[in-house]
Amino acid sequence: MHTDAEISFVEQLCLPFLRTAQNSDGGWGFHPGSLSRVEPTCWAVQALASAEAREPAESESVARGFGFLHAEQLPDGSWPSAPGEPSGGWVTSLACCVLGAAGEADPIERVTTGLNWLCRDWPRDSSPWRRLLARFSSQREIFPINNSYRGWGWTPGTSSWVEPTAFALLALERAGRKVSASLVTKRRRLAIALLYDRMCPGGGWNCGNPAVYGVPGEPLVVPTAFALLALRNESQRSEITESLKWLEAQIEKIQAPGSLAVARLCLTGYGRTSTANAPEFRSLLARTEFPNNVQVMAWICMAISTKYDGHRNSTLPWLFRSPRPDCNPRAGNFTGGLSS
Amino acid sequence: MRTSSLIPSFQRPPSSVVIRRAANYEQDLASVIFESLAVFDLPVKSKTVLLKPNLVGLDPLGVMNTHPAVIAAARECFLRLGASHVYIGDGPAMDRDTEAIIESVRLREYAGKLKGVFVDLNVDDVERVALQTHASRLNELQLPKTVLGVDFLVSMPKLKTHHWAGVTLSLKNMFGVVPGSCYGWPKNVLHWAGIDRAILDVAAVTRPDFAIVDGIVGMEGNGPIQGAPKASGVLVFGTDPVAVDATCCRVMGLRPERIKYLVGAGTLLGHINSFKIQQLGESIASVRNPFSVLAAFQKLAE
Repeated sequence: MHTDAEISFVEQLCLPFLRTAQNSDGGWGFHPGSLSRVEPTCWAVQALASAEAREPAESESVARGFGFLHAEQLPDGSWPSAPGEPSGGWVTSLACCVLGAAGEADPIERVTTGLNWLCRDWPRDSSPWRRLLARFSSQREIFPINNSYRGWGWTPGTSSWVEPTAFALLALERAGRKVSASLVTKRRRLAIALLYDRMCPGGGWNCGNPAVYGVPGEPLVVPTAFALLALRNESQRSEITESLKWLEAQIEKIQAPGSLAVARLCLTGYGRTSTANAPEFRSLLARTEFPNNVQVMAWICMAISTKYDGHRNSTLPWLFRSPRPDCNPRAGNFTGGLSS
Repeated sequence: MRTSSLIPSFQRPPSSVVIRRAANYEQDLASVIFESLAVFDLPVKSKTVLLKPNLVGLDPLGVMNTHPAVIAAARECFLRLGASHVYIGDGPAMDRDTEAIIESVRLREYAGKLKGVFVDLNVDDVERVALQTHASRLNELQLPKTVLGVDFLVSMPKLKTHHWAGVTLSLKNMFGVVPGSCYGWPKNVLHWAGIDRAILDVAAVTRPDFAIVDGIVGMEGNGPIQGAPKASGVLVFGTDPVAVDATCCRVMGLRPERIKYLVGAGTLLGHINSFKIQQLGESIASVRNPFSVLAAFQKLAE
């Protein structure tokens, strides 16, 4: 549960920090004064909007953030991870999530082209040719994974990994009629299967290596939280229960504010609100001297702004919400965001 | 950024590598490191220095990452040598929460406050840079401005085996400067480019000026993450990272001339031939301590 002290922490420290860290081009860098990038801009926009109920004055910041994201989109519909990067990458999913769920009319076309790019972005490791080669490779003993499942990589033409696959799944939940429904269904099915295949023994995820040379992989907080958020419509599955249990057990041990924020966000989204033993954000930040990280501050805002009111999903930041039942993907609308 | 031309090894003078014994992390490492640096007369006075340790992931047992005692002692020594600022920076490959890794290795306990000192290279401002070599097909990479802007770059790896490359030492350690915010966690594009080839390209464009290898406790077997600790009790130093890595291999009981990327590095980046490396301090024979390797790398053993 969020205490008054936490809410005041967000209002007095986190939100002013994010507000002043916004660059003149409307975007955010990873640190105040650094060049605007798509990823921190997405997180900052989402964080400011999540807190908007208490801070309506943030709207202008959010609108300027959208403006930066619009300007950064590449002609093929993707978004680049850094200025000057000629091709898009995993941040395309994040941008589609943020713009698509905002419910604005203008971004719909942009999101559609972004989602189409995502659907065309197949990982290279699991192509039919690669799968054939893998059948004769000694590496199949090293990595016990099912390479018929296919998710997304961090960059095009590489392998599937947990976090980019999770964000692509979240983005594709909002695919409208201009994106092939059968292709979306196929990609989501393969990607969900991939996430379960890459889960660590006993629950949780790391980057995507459940075992190497027979040694089980150790799960990590951030990929576990994002994978769980992407799979939140499957909460009855035993893998989800196991992974939530693992994540809950980590809460007391987490030593960094970023991991704590993402873990709390995820657990609150699943209605697991007993985070009483979690460290305090304020003390973690004071100890770690890292109050200059835009992404971490945005995650903290989102974690504290998220409340569980008995309806799973209802107050998660829009990026992680399922589209509302009244959102008709065939009509091409992407609502499901701010007003609920 | 290193813009000078690469010099073929046959035109390079011999390199010096210093091996020093250090039994554990509790001893006075700053003295050992300072004496070793003095051998090289390093041009760091009034210069900015970046120490690039190997911080891979959460490591409460202190086996996987460069030990913070070595990092802190090295920082103290470069400041004593007159460096204007000594940064510590890395971009961990497996976990995007660098702060969690710093906490797990207890870097602050050893190095003091990190504000203005530590740079998370995964989220630093970046610049797209053309590679000077074309061992892989990467051609260009986004690289952190901190790495491109410092005067003196020090690679500080852990003495470890690596399940893809054979060993991970001062050259492979430079993968850590490639930013995760551009290429992900892990930096998979480097693997697709061919690890051995990508090591050469990244090392050639970043060109560490100095290497300090933490071999007090290394890692053998299924490194760089899941291997077993290997107490070797050495620190290895040198201005030629290739010669340092070749020496480390010999300390580990491995043959550098059978490690693909070291052979390539030996043509343009430094020396691997023992007759071109002047060993100072302890002899290799006196500290040699064979590391176990995975079956796929048995051919590397001497």
